[in-house]
Amino acid sequence: MALNLKELSKKPELLSPGHRACAGCGSVIAIRQALMAVEGPVVVGFATGCMEVSTTIYPYTSWRIPYIHDAFENAAATISGVETAFRSLKKQGKIKGDMKFIAFGGDGGTYDIGLQSLSGALERGHDFLYICYNNGAYMNTGIQRSSATPFCAATTTSPAGEVVPGKAQFPKDLTAIVAAHHVPYAAQASPHNWRDYIGKVKKALAIEGPTFINVIASCFRGWRTEPTTSIDIVKMAVETCFWPLYEVENGEYKLNYKPKEKLPIEEWIKVQGRFKHLLDEKYKPLREEFQANVDQEWAALLEKTGDQVQKVAV
Amino acid sequence: MKENTTIEPALFCGNEAIGEAAIQAGCRAYFGYPITPQNELTAYMAKRMGEEGRVFIQSESELAAISMVFGAAAAGERAMTSSSSPGVSLKQEGISYLAGCELPAVIVNMSRGGPGLGNIGPAQADYYQSTRGGGHGDYRTPVLAGASVQELADLTFLAFDIADRYRTPTLILGDGILGQMMEPAVITHPEPTELPAKDWTLTGSRGRPPRSIKSLYLGPGELEAHNRKLQEVYRTISETEVRWESLMTEDASLVLVAYGITARICREVVFRLRKEGLPVGLLRPITLWPFPDKAIRELSRTAEKFLSVEMNFGQMVDDVRLAVNGNCPVEFFGHGGGEILTGAEIMEAARGHLPR
Repeated sequence: MALNLKELSKKPELLSPGHRACAGCGSVIAIRQALMAVEGPVVVGFATGCMEVSTTIYPYTSWRIPYIHDAFENAAATISGVETAFRSLKKQGKIKGDMKFIAFGGDGGTYDIGLQSLSGALERGHDFLYICYNNGAYMNTGIQRSSATPFCAATTTSPAGEVVPGKAQFPKDLTAIVAAHHVPYAAQASPHNWRDYIGKVKKALAIEGPTFINVIASCFRGWRTEPTTSIDIVKMAVETCFWPLYEVENGEYKLNYKPKEKLPIEEWIKVQGRFKHLLDEKYKPLREEFQANVDQEWAALLEKTGDQVQKVAV
Repeated sequence: MKENTTIEPALFCGNEAIGEAAIQAGCRAYFGYPITPQNELTAYMAKRMGEEGRVFIQSESELAAISMVFGAAAAGERAMTSSSSPGVSLKQEGISYLAGCELPAVIVNMSRGGPGLGNIGPAQADYYQSTRGGGHGDYRTPVLAGASVQELADLTFLAFDIADRYRTPTLILGDGILGQMMEPAVITHPEPTELPAKDWTLTGSRGRPPRSIKSLYLGPGELEAHNRKLQEVYRTISETEVRWESLMTEDASLVLVAYGITARICREVVFRLRKEGLPVGLLRPITLWPFPDKAIRELSRTAEKFLSVEMNFGQMVDDVRLAVNGNCPVEFFGHGGGEILTGAEIMEAARGHLPR
């Protein structure tokens, strides 16, 4: 199927409407777009989180495909079990054809408590795609910081006050951690660039072995933005180079998008309530530190990609 | 730093009240991880511990949080973690190690509906896990169960003292309602009690002989001897730390036994049935372990029947039966699934069990 909006709009949605996510939820958009890339049978595994809770409130489910959830820290392990059982059944001749396996987890369930489980599944080499919908905090439980929360963002467990300016640490580079497992494919994506993102999901699903996509997903409740700006705000994360779109294929880094004019991080900060305190003049050094970190990470990425922009080929 | 601060009556939710009491009790290190319905405690500590110049860390998992508690406790500081049922299950290995290593710590469980992910409603389904030593090995932990925001705060002070006195991890068991409901409370440090000196902490051995804290005993008979020592401590706790409250039990034919939020509802049930002239009383365990079995056994000589009322499918009723030891019938009423029992249904159950 061609990757254009006309064709995509004809595809039946695998996540049905009627779920209880917030209007304007960036994570739902990220999941629906990923599912648009699926052709044929697929099994989805989910870690505990907003999207798990809001799509499967008993006795209802929004999933039109086989779906499994068991706990918070183990989406990658659970999908490992499902994928292994499929291989066993196939080997025994009890099941025929091909099947895809996708595990979803938020940043809390992936960067933090689920990292061990993810690492194990990647190292063992299961044939699955892991998608981290990264909204930069534990939004399901009421906006607690995670190791994906941006520098200086205020959350309920990294509150911004008179002395402490929100979260003290920069987020860990999970995509690089995954790439260090020498998996065949790891990428970063954003739903505003749907062609790039869906293309990456298609590509990852076509590859045999463990693959990974880290997709930025806005949460207007946690980011303190307007629900109408869910797409604009992630686009700006890419335009500021806070969230570069790139892929690592068999160890080779490729940059998928390079902003014509790299926006200052302040443009992204000033439209989000979670950074409101940072606009105070006394925090100018922190804004500079934030910018310096973005610049440094961006430069390091360009070093790896060779500064050539390559569109995702599907 | 503010110690022994007096605070005017103020509105707290149960989670915040525990946090404030812990700070006043001298908790130097708090380690938390997000889970509903205890997030207010973690958020409170995130804000207040920093203000007090103490340690707040949000860990990457419950396993990490309980291990951080282990580290801080071994260094001799008052340390606490909190969670809710699924998260407390993850902490069990760490609690077992704390018990084996005789390290004091306070662990809060604002329990919710289970098993599995269950839901985020209030439940008392973790009674077995809490009172039997939820992890591996032969150990018990004191379990303190409050029935109001005020009492949760008061028991927090007590929990730190019990933990230090007996060098044991100590649990505070609440539920989603107690954790999140708001009530006025006065949170003040009670008169300090005399506690044994912490002459076992690992703080660097310069100028003194080295110490060790461990739960690994490989030599023949070593582990048995260590476990006998622990059992001796548990026996002392069982004799000295039992707490309960009774209401109109002296002449009661039917004695309700309930703890936590359920006891609060049962209290109202007792008042209403007494107005109708029915001889009903209530015994409320405050410590679930050690269980007030002597008080219940005593009552079983005059009461005709006991009714254990719980937000689960019957767990504490086992302990009531053991205490009564066949002196009179012991029945159970309750259900569990994250929903609170109503006064009306308890009244109906009680009426059905009243001797005719």
